[in-house]
Amino acid sequence: MIEVRDLAKHFRVHRREPGLRAALRSLVRRDHHTARAVDQVSFTIPEGEVVGFLGPNGAGKTTTLKCLTGLLHPTTGTVRVLGHTPHHREPAFLRRVSLVMGQRNALFWDLPAADAFEVNRAIYGVAEAPYRSALDELVALLDLEPLLGKQVRVLSLGERMRCELAGALLHRPDVLFLDEPTLGLDVNGQAAVRAFLRDYNAQHGATILLTSHYMGDVTALARRVLVIDRGTLRFDGDLAALVEAHSPHRLVRVTLREAAPAHAWAGLGEVSTMDGAVVTLVVPRAETAAIAARLLTTLPVEDVAIEDPPVEDIIRAVFADA
Amino acid sequence: MRDLLTAYPPLVRSAALVAVTYRGRMILGVITGFFPLLTMAVWLTVVAEGGPPAGWTTGDFLSYYAAATLLWNLSGNHVVWRWDADMRSGDLSIRLLRPVHPFHQYATSDLGHRLVFLAMLVPTLTIAALLVPGLDYPADPVLLAAVAVALALAYALSLLMASTFALVGFWSTQTTNAWLLWWGLGSFASGWVAPLALMPDWLRTAAALLPFRTAMGFPVELLMGRLDPRQTVYGFAVGLGWLAVFALLYRITWRRGIRRYQAVAG
Repeated sequence: MIEVRDLAKHFRVHRREPGLRAALRSLVRRDHHTARAVDQVSFTIPEGEVVGFLGPNGAGKTTTLKCLTGLLHPTTGTVRVLGHTPHHREPAFLRRVSLVMGQRNALFWDLPAADAFEVNRAIYGVAEAPYRSALDELVALLDLEPLLGKQVRVLSLGERMRCELAGALLHRPDVLFLDEPTLGLDVNGQAAVRAFLRDYNAQHGATILLTSHYMGDVTALARRVLVIDRGTLRFDGDLAALVEAHSPHRLVRVTLREAAPAHAWAGLGEVSTMDGAVVTLVVPRAETAAIAARLLTTLPVEDVAIEDPPVEDIIRAVFADA
Repeated sequence: MRDLLTAYPPLVRSAALVAVTYRGRMILGVITGFFPLLTMAVWLTVVAEGGPPAGWTTGDFLSYYAAATLLWNLSGNHVVWRWDADMRSGDLSIRLLRPVHPFHQYATSDLGHRLVFLAMLVPTLTIAALLVPGLDYPADPVLLAAVAVALALAYALSLLMASTFALVGFWSTQTTNAWLLWWGLGSFASGWVAPLALMPDWLRTAAALLPFRTAMGFPVELLMGRLDPRQTVYGFAVGLGWLAVFALLYRITWRRGIRRYQAVAG
């Protein structure tokens, strides 16, 4: 479905110091350097899988997505998506994929969303019946009915993103690339988009590769994650395995019937927060069960909850390790 | 090809819908569409004060610039600015993701806008042709059919020339300036500045070989009945030759340029 082998994308970048003198000097002598946006990245994604693509700003996520959709020609390496070489940009390939970029408007800015959808129908060569069926489904799932007659440029960010998703999915792509699809959305908007994408994957078996700075997007949709930093792939596997490998501790949140003195916690782990009778302990992962048992026998426990640290913290640890 | 033919009508339609969305832009577009008439006014003053130059009468200037107004509005030059803006902002990425080549997306967008302005301009010119004394064209159906083909050739060549220049944007940020230089030089050899019949011999000789006349002077001279069959065939041959040259140049430039596209931002 998606095969990436030793993908590298390097850019030649013009560089100059600030100031008038440097500006004048650059007129006659240009300084360039090579930016290695993506370097020797390899992975495979089978049909129907949802994969989260994580990394800090400038890590190479979007550049990789642009190579996978054919916007960029790889410097070296090979990319195959649905059996096609993306940068050849064959119409048969482009009709089966979609790239949703949270920061870009792919619909016709000056037209109502309904007109923009109709243009997409023609561009993608979708027959009338499947188009109607897809549109009805998307209108219902994304609650688009009140938006169809409005010019795209007057929609709010959340409304526009819902329309962008609909526009990107009207031709029922087999592979969906999502670059920050919930960027700028409020909590309700994020939840709606996540629920929709989960349904779309379940109903149509679409392969989804998703980048997002909101960990909630990734944890809600993907079991597998790719972690990239400074152009190099740092991790490829289950999100749970990533958590286990990079977080040797777990959090034990204890609620007591009455507050206990500080010395009562000695030997039970590091106290992370203490708020009256509610205490959060950081404990070694391997000792979590034993410590929980000791808590129950030595303190007046009302409730115990065991959880992993926030994924954001773990990802930060991955990058710190790198 | 069939997919392209299916995509063209809705894309042209959507561009026409965009063109009529903003009244202010429409009004300004119509006003600027009549700019060639300003040049006509200058020439009519020259004729009135100094007599007809090289045998060109008041009626000739009226007929020439009325037709030139049609050609002014049937130019694909505007696509250079669209390409340039999209390359700089990275919005070309959106067009590259669609299964229709960006050339056709820009072409249909331009065509939709042209058709809206022509829908307002052509009736005005037709009425003027019927009412204004001296404004006169031969009513030969064969000639008018040839003019229709020459107009299509003029639009296709100006669009292809502009699109080829737009691809300079893969290498340089000076696309629009390069185009303005080319177009500015070409305006002397096309018939924009003055009818080629009034230009020096050396410029007329050069203009007969260059692409610019196809996009303006040739269809106008044909409509005015100033070309004999041999000159007509020669004009079409030059135009078609340049169309082939720019089609080839476009193809080569696109293949090399797209590899350099950086898809900036987003």
